Amino acid sequence: MEVELAEVSDFLAGHAPFDRLPGSELAALPRRCTIRYARRGSVVLDVGDRGDGLYVVRSGAVEVRDETAELVDRVGTGEAFGMSSLLEHRPTRYRCAAVEDTLLLVLEPAAFDELSQAHPDFATFFAATHHARLSRAIGNLQRATSGSTALGTRVGDLVTREPVTTTPAASVRDAAAAMSAAGVSCVLVVEHLALVGIVTDRDLRNRVLAADLPTVSPVRSVMTPDPVTLSVDALAFEALLEMVSRDIHHLPVVDETRRPVGLVTTTDLVRLENANPVYLAAAIGGQTTLAGVVAEAPGIRAVLGQLVERDVSAADVSRVATALGDAVRRRVLALVEEELGPPPVPYSWVVLGSAARDEEGFTADQDHAIVLGAEPDGAGDAWFAALAERVTAALEQCGWPRCPGDVMATNPDWRLTVPQWRARFADWSREPQPDAVLHTAVFHDMRHLAGDQDLTEQVHLASVTTASARLLGHLSRQALAMRPPLGFFRGLVLERHGEHRDTLDIKRPISAVVQLARVHALRSGSPSLSTRRRLAAAAAAGTIDHDAASELADALELMSYLRLHHQAAQARAGRTPDNNLRPADLTQRQRRHLRDAFEIVRSAQQRLSSTLPAGFE
Amino acid sequence: MRGRLPFLRRRPRRPGHYPPGPLRDLAAAPAPPGTTPVSQVELLALDLETTGLNPRTDHVLSLGCVPVAGGQVLLADAHEHRVRPPDGVDVGSSATIHRLTDDALSGAASLAEVLPLLLGALHGRVLLAHHAPVEVEFVGAATVSAYGARPPLTVVDTLALEHRLRADVNGEVQGSLRLDAARRTHGLPRYASHHALTDAVAAAELLLAQVAELEQRLGREVLLRDLTPKRSG
Repeated sequence: MEVELAEVSDFLAGHAPFDRLPGSELAALPRRCTIRYARRGSVVLDVGDRGDGLYVVRSGAVEVRDETAELVDRVGTGEAFGMSSLLEHRPTRYRCAAVEDTLLLVLEPAAFDELSQAHPDFATFFAATHHARLSRAIGNLQRATSGSTALGTRVGDLVTREPVTTTPAASVRDAAAAMSAAGVSCVLVVEHLALVGIVTDRDLRNRVLAADLPTVSPVRSVMTPDPVTLSVDALAFEALLEMVSRDIHHLPVVDETRRPVGLVTTTDLVRLENANPVYLAAAIGGQTTLAGVVAEAPGIRAVLGQLVERDVSAADVSRVATALGDAVRRRVLALVEEELGPPPVPYSWVVLGSAARDEEGFTADQDHAIVLGAEPDGAGDAWFAALAERVTAALEQCGWPRCPGDVMATNPDWRLTVPQWRARFADWSREPQPDAVLHTAVFHDMRHLAGDQDLTEQVHLASVTTASARLLGHLSRQALAMRPPLGFFRGLVLERHGEHRDTLDIKRPISAVVQLARVHALRSGSPSLSTRRRLAAAAAAGTIDHDAASELADALELMSYLRLHHQAAQARAGRTPDNNLRPADLTQRQRRHLRDAFEIVRSAQQRLSSTLPAGFE
Repeated sequence: MRGRLPFLRRRPRRPGHYPPGPLRDLAAAPAPPGTTPVSQVELLALDLETTGLNPRTDHVLSLGCVPVAGGQVLLADAHEHRVRPPDGVDVGSSATIHRLTDDALSGAASLAEVLPLLLGALHGRVLLAHHAPVEVEFVGAATVSAYGARPPLTVVDTLALEHRLRADVNGEVQGSLRLDAARRTHGLPRYASHHALTDAVAAAELLLAQVAELEQRLGREVLLRDLTPKRSG
């Protein structure tokens, strides 16, 4: 008897990770599948269902949503869902509903387990998908509740000390003495190991002193019986909700047997929130002295480190890094301006380079400049020189080294009026000298920070509109010069000419993507600044094809992600973050993905080089 | 002929009516009654590749079947049999359609050998096919020749069902009801057709889609009789 289900095995063979399975195993898979059909709008798997297999979409589309109904993923032909239940051996936390009429191939759990064991790649593939969805779901949850990431912490992790307890029969005086001795504002009343009540400072004031109750009265007569409690695995935001809605400041944390294990107070939550980017930005913005800003600035690395640990995407971490950097820069500028008195002429302060592109990380130099609304006199120029020097010095103290190329407002060459900036861009465009190309590249990444925004926009627009074919050629050549390595060989980085290195300078291939995006954006006339937006704009304008643009964005995300993780680990260990990744520290999978990223960069460079006019290659 | 009368056709014959053997066994394990929800009915999707459409003169070359139960096509129990035509019969020009050549079939079992397997697989199940008269007639001709009677079957035809779903007020249908066209209507993927097992799976998937549409239209659970099954044999 011959069973041929080539239609099904051929389909699986066309999609990852099944495409990596040996032919014999692939041919056996259809027999371990069933086929199901889900009409548009119907729910295939619901929150709390135990998935009975890996669901592969044969045709149609399915949306994965979390408990709060936020979209986590959209699954199309050849993609799968239901792996979370299989991997975690627990009911799913998602609702998977067909958004089109959908045909599904359902692989039985035993087959999934066997393939996962026999082929680590197979397991990794689904674990990665599972993990990505999970982190998106967690991100959704946190956004939905508070806009904060820190409030996703379990209250069990917030409890730092054993609770101070008393018994219902104890006297109010003894209870108050115990609170004083421990320096707490609240005592838990425990009987037979279980929590039966709570007494706070406020209760002592209102129910004892104000009511003129004798201090020998039993605690039972003044306590709040059966207080609201939280279980150890409740989230911090739930604690916050309880406190706000009931106007209470202490919440006992109990285990399954109602035995109190600790207490969460509003102070704990406020402290927790200090690690939140929003609170940090507010704290920086509230500083009234430069010393205060300098004291808050190290908090940025701590917040970035936490975001990296939570596996937030590199694009998001970089945006947060830039936003917090802006908070510091704006505050410093405002404080220095306060010291110096009002500016002699209107001006704008612009940031350049990675800060302009929203792509800061753990390491960034200062790159900035000033656009003047009118040419100042001698005293006016001295005012701007003082402003630039004091701001630069303060930022240096906050952790941003001075730019080695002197592309800073302290350099009088970079304090120009709008017509002077226009003339400068026009010069670069007409007769680009090699070192001038470097400058224009930096100045093309220009973003308004403070002051008169109109001035910034006039200059930035000029940088886009004056880009000549000749300048684009030079910028392209610069983008082509940043060659990524070939890959890895025996734990070493394999360079293009065959030499080996023991570290990978990840900045080089990242710069290559940044420069490619800049060239393509300029060619399409787009004023976008971030590399991702530039790639999207160039794809929309047709100067680069959509696939290449999205591949480059993916490559950038991967390389930036690995760089952030490397730098976060260095920062945690108290070392200075750098760009030198050691191949030995990378997993085999990361090395493989990096090799793919290099290949994407290389082929984008080749395509760009083939469009260059003769003499520019 | 008594079998033509609807009220008689709907009443299954007792097993004793059939000669001992596969047909009597099948009659003893009939499909569930029409009031059973489809989700609890087992069906067997069947497709035959033949040398032509006339059961008296043409021959079965291959047979593919796959069960459907609980809203799922059970690929684990899918079967395909190639069938050796009687001696002296050429596959002829039909080979261009189903790509089964004389050489490929010479080592296969005869229909008489395959038939008991098929009838066994139909125990307790409803026969499902797209344009079912072909399958019913060829299987009927084969059992008449082998056992002297037609098999007792409950049959659901996805083509007839699609006709009902697509018909306008005048009972007319725009466009084709062929298997691939009906599948496209339901957003099902395109398969290379004319392969017995692929077509059986294709018909089974089509039924799942039709039942889902019917359920939405009726606003209740779909029963077997909503699929207008016919009894034969």
